Amino acid sequence: MEHKRTAIILAVIWSIVAILPLFFGSTNFIMHILIICLIWSVVASCWDLIMGFAGIFSFGQVAFFVIGAYSSAIISARAGIPPIFAVFMAGIISGLLGVLVGIPCLKLKGAYIALVTFAVHMILEPMLKGDIGRFIGTGGSRGILTIEPMNIFGYAFTNSHPIPYFYLILFVAVICSAIIWLVIRSHWGAAFLALKDAEDFATCLGVSAFKYKLMVFALTSFLTGMIGGFYAHYVGMLSTRMLGIDLFVTLMVILVIGGVGKFPGAVIGAFITVAINEMLSPLGSYRPIILGAMVVILVLLLPDGIIGLIQKLVAKREPMVSPLRNNQP
Amino acid sequence: MLTEIIDVIISGMINGSVYALMAVGLTLIYGVSKAFNFAYGSFYSMGGYLAFLVFGFAFLHNYLIVFCLAAPILFFFGYIIEKLLVAPLRKRDDWEVKVMMITLGMALFLDNSFQVVFGARMKSLPSILEGSFEAGEFILSYQDVVIFILSISGILTFRWFLNNTRTGMSVRAVAQNPAGAQIVGIPKEFVFSATFAISTVMVGMGGILLAQKYFVTPDGGWDILVKSWVITAFGGMGSIKGSLYAAFIVGMLEAFVGWQFGMTWTLIALFAVLLTTLVIRPQGLMGKRG
Repeated sequence: MEHKRTAIILAVIWSIVAILPLFFGSTNFIMHILIICLIWSVVASCWDLIMGFAGIFSFGQVAFFVIGAYSSAIISARAGIPPIFAVFMAGIISGLLGVLVGIPCLKLKGAYIALVTFAVHMILEPMLKGDIGRFIGTGGSRGILTIEPMNIFGYAFTNSHPIPYFYLILFVAVICSAIIWLVIRSHWGAAFLALKDAEDFATCLGVSAFKYKLMVFALTSFLTGMIGGFYAHYVGMLSTRMLGIDLFVTLMVILVIGGVGKFPGAVIGAFITVAINEMLSPLGSYRPIILGAMVVILVLLLPDGIIGLIQKLVAKREPMVSPLRNNQP
Repeated sequence: MLTEIIDVIISGMINGSVYALMAVGLTLIYGVSKAFNFAYGSFYSMGGYLAFLVFGFAFLHNYLIVFCLAAPILFFFGYIIEKLLVAPLRKRDDWEVKVMMITLGMALFLDNSFQVVFGARMKSLPSILEGSFEAGEFILSYQDVVIFILSISGILTFRWFLNNTRTGMSVRAVAQNPAGAQIVGIPKEFVFSATFAISTVMVGMGGILLAQKYFVTPDGGWDILVKSWVITAFGGMGSIKGSLYAAFIVGMLEAFVGWQFGMTWTLIALFAVLLTTLVIRPQGLMGKRG
């Protein structure tokens, strides 16, 4: 029932989003914001999958996004591969790196995983800016200034006509959320939940922590890296500024608003958060302060996000707290 | 060459001693309450900015006054933060991730508040003690000596506090077994808040000490957060002795890597140390398994 409801919510969201260009199609600015919303919704959904469902405190999602963006830009520029394939190769690179990061995390618990993944995030900036980065072609601290725009079989997507690209990204986002939905619905999802709620018990029942944890690392970093590639070819320039804490917290706001572990929530959260962010942008340097305060207040007041709030309002039919978990310190 | 190496060793020792102070604070808070504090680095910057503020008043030009003012302010701040933000989350099932989120939001809030209030430019603090000891080419500034002595004595005081006072013993009891500690009448909630506050004081002191050598910047704390965490994980969670050794090793490593390969490599070297530790000896140098 739960999964069916998720699917219905997703279908409703995506069909509403799909008709939005009818109203805003003439304003490039709004279309641009919508594209960004779609991109963040994918990244946030992936983060939700790994953190909310699998219970792995991965804080490297932005890092994988940036890795994907950079690798797609470099692959398409250096090897002359068309962007649409470069994007997939970037996804594969991110996925492999995700597995590489995931391996040491397998033995670790809780905050240690957060440390390792966050350290990946932290060292990415000196890597990209330093000699290694310049050798690969990241352009050092200047960043990559010209990235080939996306084109499929000769049809080029340009920034001045964002509607085709909007539908392309929408298509990708729908595919990604369908994948995530399928994963949650399948026995993988059950395994994730079991591992999160009672790892020892689940392992005793034969759920392989090794297999499923690596799988979720690979899948989420693949999808994140791929959407990072789409982002790179859309905005046309990249710099290490994306690795600042600002974007990181924006993604976190998306998760907090949507609700951690409440899957379609991240998609809704992305739209709300990006809209709030845009509204706050005239405030200049006060915007991050408000964003930070918002995280604090929302975590305290709205701990399960919008979806949790709706669930609470609608009915208390199913107990939300799993009886196996007893985490009280 | 030789004097250079000695210089590098000294700088490693000084940084290591301050890192030890901050890592001990972090190991304390994680060991006792299992809360991951993402705003730890912001508290570090806060210490530096507090000192800067105090030095803004002409008649307060003294580090003694700075420490006397900053310590209670930081303690109070940490206590309030724990009571208001972290404590209400403890009742929840998924409080660990919620605490990470809330502290991350707080870090963004604090960093950008610093930026708005003090500006994005680096702030420098006067040296705690002018002058230096010179022997030929070899120079040892008194500032370094004072920083070293202060941070080491800070750690020793803290150790004495943990081992010899009643509050310290109750902190250790809660770290070992929260439920058991509560049964014998130790106020668990108070201990959680107090440890959070103490760790805030420790990292803030570290900020004041290091700010004289480096600078105070709004987002300078992130390095410190990662370094403290690496040291804590490397030394073993909950082991003060382990953190002490690990901090000196990391300080040395950082100094040598920075000297030989440039500062951009230090974080990468730290990450390598972290991964090696976690793969070979997940409990850290001196930590207990489990």
